[in-house]
Amino acid sequence: MDDLPPNSDEMTEAYLRLLTQHDRWLATYVYSLVPRAADADDILQEVKVTMWKQFAKFELGSNFRAWARKIATNQILNYRRAVQRHPSAQLEESFIEAVAAEIDRRADGLDHRAEALRHCLHKLPEAHRKIIVWRYYEDCGIEEIAAKSQRSAEAVYQLLSRIRGMLNDCVSRELAAQP
Amino acid sequence: MKHDDRIERALEGLLPDEDWQALQAEIVRDPELRAAYVDRVWLHSHLRAERETLVELLDEPTPIRRWPVAAWAAAAAACVTLVASALFLRSKPTVATLVQAENCKWAGSDLPTAVDSKLSAGTLALVEGIATLKFKSGATVTIEAPTKLEIHDAMHCRLLEGSVVAEVPESAHGFTIDTQDMKVKDLGTRFGLTAGSAGNSQVHVFEGEVEIGGLPGGEPKRLKQGKGLNVTSGNTTAGQEPTRGQQKQESGGWTAIPTSFGRGKDGYARRGDGGAPMGTHPLIMVKHSDIEAGRKNERRGFITFDVSQAATRNVGEAQIVLDPEPSGFGFSALVPDSRFAVYGIADESLDAWNEAEMRWDSMPACTDEGPVPAQVRRLAEFWIPRGGSGGPLTVRSDALAEFVRQDTNGLVTFIVVRETGESDPSGLVHAFASKEHPSARPPTLRAK
Repeated sequence: MDDLPPNSDEMTEAYLRLLTQHDRWLATYVYSLVPRAADADDILQEVKVTMWKQFAKFELGSNFRAWARKIATNQILNYRRAVQRHPSAQLEESFIEAVAAEIDRRADGLDHRAEALRHCLHKLPEAHRKIIVWRYYEDCGIEEIAAKSQRSAEAVYQLLSRIRGMLNDCVSRELAAQP
Repeated sequence: MKHDDRIERALEGLLPDEDWQALQAEIVRDPELRAAYVDRVWLHSHLRAERETLVELLDEPTPIRRWPVAAWAAAAAACVTLVASALFLRSKPTVATLVQAENCKWAGSDLPTAVDSKLSAGTLALVEGIATLKFKSGATVTIEAPTKLEIHDAMHCRLLEGSVVAEVPESAHGFTIDTQDMKVKDLGTRFGLTAGSAGNSQVHVFEGEVEIGGLPGGEPKRLKQGKGLNVTSGNTTAGQEPTRGQQKQESGGWTAIPTSFGRGKDGYARRGDGGAPMGTHPLIMVKHSDIEAGRKNERRGFITFDVSQAATRNVGEAQIVLDPEPSGFGFSALVPDSRFAVYGIADESLDAWNEAEMRWDSMPACTDEGPVPAQVRRLAEFWIPRGGSGGPLTVRSDALAEFVRQDTNGLVTFIVVRETGESDPSGLVHAFASKEHPSARPPTLRAK
């Protein structure tokens, strides 16, 4: 039991400040490593609890994201190992490690992509924005959107995939245009 | 930029498993595909993470509730519990209020919980105590530690593990609680529901009626007052063969020996086992009942440690550490604070019990009535309060150290029994992680 939670108000406040500041980024990071896990939010919560337990070891003023990335990746690997026992577990592990390394390598670039995305979303035609809101804000699955919009599931998938493709291209263009 | 439709399909969970695995393997190998994948998955994940702000896209003046950092930090400093629970639930609408908390400890925290906390969708993990949530729909849900509950909205939650009792007024008819095995829809009642960390769900209707969906058969079932239903998830009856554990030197001169080390073993037997051994279950279940209807559910735990690599002759202190886990059976509200006893088996020829074959009629050093006095020594007792003890339990006594010192064959075997009965046959079955448990710590003997 070497990682008891740190226990002063100051530490708590420092942790909460850093976490608030990087909350969305951390969620993006965790979701990116386990995009197909139905329990991605549980994993995210476990990561935050683990970070809190180990916060005493974090050096204030050093790179929070780098520290958080390391903890999150380990936690995700541990979690997947615990729940997953089929033969592809080994593959999934090397996959998670490869993707994590790629994200680490491109950390700054991905930040810029996230900023540009904001811009690009507003450029979408209204019908497309609606699909994005259904899919992400209301957290609807393809089937639900199909029911809402009276399209086939395959048609919704094609549309959503096209919208994301457009956003991705838009983001790349915005970044290329920047000095 | 390389475009691959499989990536988009994978993100929506539409890619069949074998194709997904092939894609994963290619992503590991091919840097260009990996870069394309990261672009797409990052975009998708970023939209997920930013979901709250996306509504602005529709030009609807929906206010986004968000606590200012300072107020948030102050509140959490006053009650660090928020770090474990409400903190991750921020800026979503309130769906329930924590109206009562008895001796509660929540995951990641050891401070008391603030009563009157507003809860939105998210997960609550209660490690110790009993807490009551009042949903906006009017439904009241009492959760008993150890429990993990996922709150979806005012009419819907999911029990990941542990046990809850729900009271549902007319305004909230249709209130639903899911488990891994079933979906319980309330039709005006009071009911209890449990889910084990390794499968098994059990529902019991105290008053009124419920409808159960999501069953293996497909057809929903109705259950009336006084009735119960038990669903065992097929894939979890036997635990995983664990990786073998190690004997460890810990600080302070302690040697820690898990049951997963060497020839160690653990398991339990149930009186009504119908001849089926339970030795490789991920949980060691223990229960005692003086009530006729509960007799068949009597359970005793057996634990053997391999001490052949330890200097037992010099042991001055000894402890057994057990990690309590939800069993998925019974309600702690129906069992008072419970006393357990640990016996050591003195007859060393009985150390050779077989984990994979032990049944109620072949338990070492026990008859149907209990441990055989001539073959065992009562070494220690411990208590688990109603609502759980939170975290691992440590059992220690001089008699325990003495027992370990006297070992001559490198194996020490213990029997764990509960001595406290129950007020109703639906009373709680206590459980501890065995070495087959996928995540919790196996029983461990510590000596120095």
